[in-house]
Amino acid sequence: MSAEALTETSVLPAAVFLLPVVVGAIVISATRSSRALQQWLSVVSMALVTGLGAWMVYRSLENVVLTAWHSELRVDALSALMVVIIGAVGLLASVYSVRYVDAHLTRGPAAARTSTFYGLLLWFLGTMLWGCVTNNVIMLYVAIEATTLTSGLLVAFYWDRRALEAGYKYLMLLTIGITFALFGCVLLYAGAAGTNKLGGESALLISNIRRVVQFIPSRTAAITIAFLVIGFGTKAGIAPFHPWLPDAHAEAPTPISVLLSGVMIKMSVYALARTVSIFYPAWPQVTVFLVALGTFTMLLGIILALEQNDLKRLLAYSSVSQMGYILAGIGLGTYLGCYGGLYHLLNHALYKSLLFMCVGAVMYATGTRRISELGGLKCQMPVTSACYFMGALALAGFPPFNGFWSKLTIYLALARAGLWWAAVIAIVTSVLTMVVMVRTGYKVFWGNRLLSNTAAPDLKEVPALMFVPMTVLAGLCALLGIYPQLPYPLLDRAAGVLATLGR
Amino acid sequence: MNPAGLHTDLIETLSLTLVITSVAAVEMRRLKFSIIAYLCQALLIVALLLSFASVNHALYWWAATAFVTKAILTPWFLFRAIRGVDDHELKPVIGFGPSVVIVALLMITFFRLAHGKVALLAPTGLAQLEVFRTNLAVASTVFVLGIYAVLTRRDAIKTVIGLCLLENGVHLSLVSLAPGLSETALFGVATEVVVTVFLLLYVIGGVRQVFGTTDTFRLRELRW
Repeated sequence: MSAEALTETSVLPAAVFLLPVVVGAIVISATRSSRALQQWLSVVSMALVTGLGAWMVYRSLENVVLTAWHSELRVDALSALMVVIIGAVGLLASVYSVRYVDAHLTRGPAAARTSTFYGLLLWFLGTMLWGCVTNNVIMLYVAIEATTLTSGLLVAFYWDRRALEAGYKYLMLLTIGITFALFGCVLLYAGAAGTNKLGGESALLISNIRRVVQFIPSRTAAITIAFLVIGFGTKAGIAPFHPWLPDAHAEAPTPISVLLSGVMIKMSVYALARTVSIFYPAWPQVTVFLVALGTFTMLLGIILALEQNDLKRLLAYSSVSQMGYILAGIGLGTYLGCYGGLYHLLNHALYKSLLFMCVGAVMYATGTRRISELGGLKCQMPVTSACYFMGALALAGFPPFNGFWSKLTIYLALARAGLWWAAVIAIVTSVLTMVVMVRTGYKVFWGNRLLSNTAAPDLKEVPALMFVPMTVLAGLCALLGIYPQLPYPLLDRAAGVLATLGR
Repeated sequence: MNPAGLHTDLIETLSLTLVITSVAAVEMRRLKFSIIAYLCQALLIVALLLSFASVNHALYWWAATAFVTKAILTPWFLFRAIRGVDDHELKPVIGFGPSVVIVALLMITFFRLAHGKVALLAPTGLAQLEVFRTNLAVASTVFVLGIYAVLTRRDAIKTVIGLCLLENGVHLSLVSLAPGLSETALFGVATEVVVTVFLLLYVIGGVRQVFGTTDTFRLRELRW
């Protein structure tokens, strides 16, 4: 795609990440502003980002690549896909956060810090967007580390024993991991510069590096790939580098869990795919390694999810498992694999955000997230119940929901590549996912009413500002399941960027 | 001075001393002395960058950034974190004697490995020249010692010092591997480390307040 694409200089790639960063700075510094104003600014700025993302998608479908700052920023179809996902999930999480913050963060030590919460939330989204539009390999590392820094305090926001432990592990493990990625990025740059085919700073641009990558010495390439996989894989929650993920995703305030599981780990796998996929044509053996890592991740994640009694930890482990699917698809390097991987990335962003919002709604209504303390919520919380089951079935890959099509594409891609063992593991994992999700949903929403919620006679459905984002996401899961061709034009072009092994 | 205009002897002496400061930062049991060792390492890095800057003027900017972030801000944050508390490190996983032996072995092995097999890490011709080769070997050794400290220390402050060593190792490698890196990228990389250290120490302050200790082995609320 990029060979024939028209390049157009535009302010949009810069505007899309500077907007939330600037608004975040205003919110964080205006500590005396009303909570409603902070929430309004957050929602409006993310609505604007989503609009800009939609425009970028439109331009990429016209085969236009937007660039800025001498190609330091570059938006092709893949970047546009990521921007619109981050923008949309960020917008829905911001809307969802309004009543959640009103209920949870206006008491205790967090009470005086809502401006910090919304400021960091916007910075977190801004840095993720920056990572998706940058074309500079070192700035890609900087942006990804910046997402850790902006979200670290959000993970520890409740400032209690569990949140502090999660925050410490999150900052420490991700920084160590991402330092490996820095080394990988530096080696990638040095390797490209060492070919003597790129001069000066042009060797920093990923779009240039991919043209000379076959000239990088194979031993350097092997070390570079290893460092990039460890570094970005840690951030993406790929096993065995995942231990930070369940703690952070479970202990963060729910709107932040939505962003961590819904988009942040996707953005990291995007960075991994951007940098490692360029090596596929010269070193195709990398693809088998990535598929093996992906299948290991998907199976381990769901096995660990089986044992959970904490709803958020269960979803976090399932995110580990789903990242395995995405990695197995993208790691294949073929068009079908990349299409399936990116389609699953989009779908997982939708249904995992939905599921975390449902769990947040259960916590909002009952005050607990322990499965053993919950039961029979379907009568009091019918919307949450319906949304949860739609998300759970989509996650399990059950037709007619969106997860079915993306998982099917990945199975077909694996089988077509001759990796039957990986396809079988993926199908088995999907069956286990179905067992975990339906069993949990049955217990929480359909099972016997337990003492903890019969003791709360005023238990009722969450407010509209919380269930509207949930219904939008549930609707999208059904819509993309019934009309899987809807995202095809964008996914086709985005997959073309990554599918370096051809169709 | 060699033909490239570099003070080779000076650079090699600084590099060797730099490795020794890493060992000191890892092995000193008083956190105050460990931070002082780290500060010495930061100053040595600045001196090294200035030595290399005679042939690559872009490194003057890198040296100035490293001085502010590594030699001033990071030690300041670390000293603030141990102010008013007992600065004896919590007993690490591996005792002093065995730890010194392991560190010595790691140091020798990785220095020799990285120096001997430099082509693995140095895809550019420049990076394979002798003085840059030594720089890369030192960078790899500091990196490995940082990982060792993070893995074997149970005191949260000490793990942060280990993390700083890890970062120093990577930053030092930039001299050989990415001499033409833009000021913006260098500034971004250097700033992020200091912000990371600040945030980590802020969270560790909370951990000390709530748990009453900085012992990472006591952080066991979240399991499975």
